Amino acid sequence: MTDPRWVGRSYETAPYEVTEQSIRDYMAAVGDTRDGAELIAPPTYAMVYGFDAYWQLWTDQEVALDVAHLVHGEQQFRFHRPVKPGDRIRTTGRLTAINTRGDMELVTFELTARDDEDRPVSDGQALFIIRTP
Amino acid sequence: MKTVTAAQDFENVQSGQSLPSLIKHVTVEQIRQYADASGDRNPIHLDEAFARSAGLPGAIAHGMLTMAFANQMVTDWLGDRSLLKRMQGRFAGMVLPGDDVTCSGTVASKDAQTRRVVINFVAVNQRGEKVLNKGVAEAEFPPQRSETHAA
Repeated sequence: MTDPRWVGRSYETAPYEVTEQSIRDYMAAVGDTRDGAELIAPPTYAMVYGFDAYWQLWTDQEVALDVAHLVHGEQQFRFHRPVKPGDRIRTTGRLTAINTRGDMELVTFELTARDDEDRPVSDGQALFIIRTP
Repeated sequence: MKTVTAAQDFENVQSGQSLPSLIKHVTVEQIRQYADASGDRNPIHLDEAFARSAGLPGAIAHGMLTMAFANQMVTDWLGDRSLLKRMQGRFAGMVLPGDDVTCSGTVASKDAQTRRVVINFVAVNQRGEKVLNKGVAEAEFPPQRSETHAA
């Protein structure tokens, strides 16, 4: 079981420099290759610029989540503005809840992403399910 | 392949209407490509033996890959990615390489005041089992353009 005293711990990414290549790599990977007058990232690209916050949580040796038995249970996003090449985005993730349901542990992680001028880019909430082996 | 289409017209959106569904065939290569593009190289997605030792049926696709498919279904219909304001869903089942994932959605509501449209969506595999449910997307359309033209 994860120690509930870690609820409230937060993680911040370095500014993520959005490049055309990074957006196009993501578009190719998911197969969403729509192009427009200007390149706008698919909204779920929030998972790319925010990924290091998730990674920091998963690899935090003190919190020590059982990541081998962790799966993504639910995800929510709110998008405040489109993301384009040249954006610099910093994401903060906060471990906001650890609950149990039967033999599963439910970990809630809330994220906010902001640009260089501290304007909101997106918010997210992930629910991870850790199955007891 | 480049696809350019006109943005959806808010006036033409009807509550209850279906969005064109989207079918994706998931492969080991795509999961690897997604891991590289997203940075998420968790071995449950990439290492068959590790995934089995963790109690999974095999290396599973990232849940966010399935959500990206649903995102594409919605934004293809919208015709403009910048209209999407909200997206959420529950990963109800695992997606494995070789699976065919079909995303489908319907317009749940339309508000003329806020120019917002709510879409409910789901993704199922080739056996009809839900892999993503409780899907909700919300789009906000730009203010209506004036019909009058300057002289």
